Amino acid sequence: MNEEKYQGKQPFHEEEDTQLLELATRHTKDMSRSEKAVSKTALIFENVVKIPFFRCQRCGECILSHTAFICSQRCPKRLRNGPCGGTGRGGTCEVYPEQKCVWYRIYKRARFLRRLFLLTRIEKIHNWNLEKTSAWMNVLQKRIEAPILFLKRKK
Amino acid sequence: MSLSQKIDTGGFLFTAELGPPKSCNPDAVRKKSVHFKNIVDGVNITDNQTAIVRLSSIAAAKILVDEGLEPVVQMTCRDRNRLALQSDLIGMSALGIENVLCLTGDHQRFGNHPEAKNVFDLDSIQLIATARMLRMGFFLSGEQMKRPPSLCIGGAANPFADPLEFRVLRLAKKIKAGAQFIQTQPVFDLDRFKTWMNRVREEGLDKKVAVLAGVMPVKSVRALTYMEDQVPGIFIPRELISRMKKAENPKEEGVKIAVETILCLKEVKGLRGIHLMPLMWESITPRIAEESGLLRKDSAAGRNTLSGKAKKTS
Ligand code: SF4
Repeated sequence: MNEEKYQGKQPFHEEEDTQLLELATRHTKDMSRSEKAVSKTALIFENVVKIPFFRCQRCGECILSHTAFICSQRCPKRLRNGPCGGTGRGGTCEVYPEQKCVWYRIYKRARFLRRLFLLTRIEKIHNWNLEKTSAWMNVLQKRIEAPILFLKRKK
Repeated sequence: MSLSQKIDTGGFLFTAELGPPKSCNPDAVRKKSVHFKNIVDGVNITDNQTAIVRLSSIAAAKILVDEGLEPVVQMTCRDRNRLALQSDLIGMSALGIENVLCLTGDHQRFGNHPEAKNVFDLDSIQLIATARMLRMGFFLSGEQMKRPPSLCIGGAANPFADPLEFRVLRLAKKIKAGAQFIQTQPVFDLDRFKTWMNRVREEGLDKKVAVLAGVMPVKSVRALTYMEDQVPGIFIPRELISRMKKAENPKEEGVKIAVETILCLKEVKGLRGIHLMPLMWESITPRIAEESGLLRKDSAAGRNTLSGKAKKTS
C-alpha cells in the first residue's frame, strides 16, 4: 500500500479484513525514447509467445496468471473482474451467443488448475497508457505487478 | 428513514423499478411514481436499459426526490468513462440522491444505437470500489476532495447464469469492494434461486450484505418470450410459459405468479427483501404489495392511496 499517496490514510480502512488495494495506477513517468524502443522490441517477442498461445490482446497490464492463462480481454466488454450478468445457459456470451463467454472458460480452467482463489482478487482499473506496450517490460520496470506463476504448495 | 438506515436496522425491504420515458416529459415520471409512494423503500431508476436511450436516470431521480420518494440511481459503465462516472456520483449526491446501483451494463448491440462506441472503462466491481473511495473523500487519482459525497452503494447479481459457483464468488467480490445491498435478476426459477441462496449462506455472505430478490410480474406470454429472447441473463422455465399460455386471463395469472413467488421468497432464509420489476406495468405495484403482505403496517397513507385506486378502477 502506497501510503503517502493518500496522505497517510488508507483508502479501505473501513473494515480491517478487506484486502488493501490501490484501485487505479497513478500516472507514472512517461517512457523515455530509448525505453519505448526497448518496449517495442520486447513486444515483438512477447507477441510471438502470447498471441498464439493465449490470444493476447496486448493490454500491457497482463493479468494472465490470475485468470488461469486465458486472456480475459477477449471479452467484448473487456471486463477484468469476472463475467457480466448476461452469460447464457451453458456459458454462452451475451453479445455473441455463438461464442463461449471467456469467463466461463476461465472459471473452468481455474478450477482445474486450483487457481480459483486468484479470481477473488479485485483487479485494478486498466491504465490505458499501457495499451500496446510490453507487459514484460512493465513488470521489470515495476509499473505493474509481477505475475503469480507458481503456487505455494501446502505442506 | 433512508434506505441505508433501513438496511442497517434490519426488516424486510421492498424496492421497485421505474423506467424513465423515451422523451423529456417529467410528468410521465411523476405519474408512474404515484404507484410507489408510501409503499416501497426505494425506487430504482434504470439507466438506458437494454441500451435504449431514455431520460437520464439522475434527472428522473431528482424528480422523484422532489415528489418525496427515495430513488436508487442505476449507473452503468457502458456509457461513461472514469471521469464521467466520478462526476456523476458526486453530482448525484449534491442533488440529494444517495443510493446508487452499480452495473456493468448491457452491450449496445441490443439497443437502438448498435453502432455506438462502448466505454467499459471500469467494470461494476471497480465502480463499486470507486464509489466507496469517493465516499471516503478520494478520487481515483488519489486526490482528496473537500466534501465527500454520502453514498449508499449497491450491486446486482445474477443467480441464474452459469456457473453457479462463479456467481457466488463474484458476489463476494462485490461485497469486498463495498456493496451494501444486492438486487438480483428476476426470479422465475425458484429452485435455482434457492440453491444459489444456500451457497451464499454457506459463505456467510448474507450477513454482510442485504440481498433483495428480483420479482417480475408479466402481462402476457409474449412479454415472457420477449424477455427470454431479448434480455440477456434471464431464464424462464418451460412450465411457466405453458402455465401462462393456458391461463384464460393472462394478466391475472401474471399477478398470481408474482404473488406466489414473493410468498415463497419470503420463506427463504437470509433474504432481506424483494425488488419488484414491473416492466412498463408500474400500476400493478400496490396490488401485488397488498396481496403478498408487503405493505408497511405503519403507512396509513399507503392504504388510502390504495383504496382510492381501487374505487377508480372498479
Ligand atoms: S458474457 Fe462473458 S464474454 Fe460475453 S460480455 Fe459478458 S463477461 Fe464478456
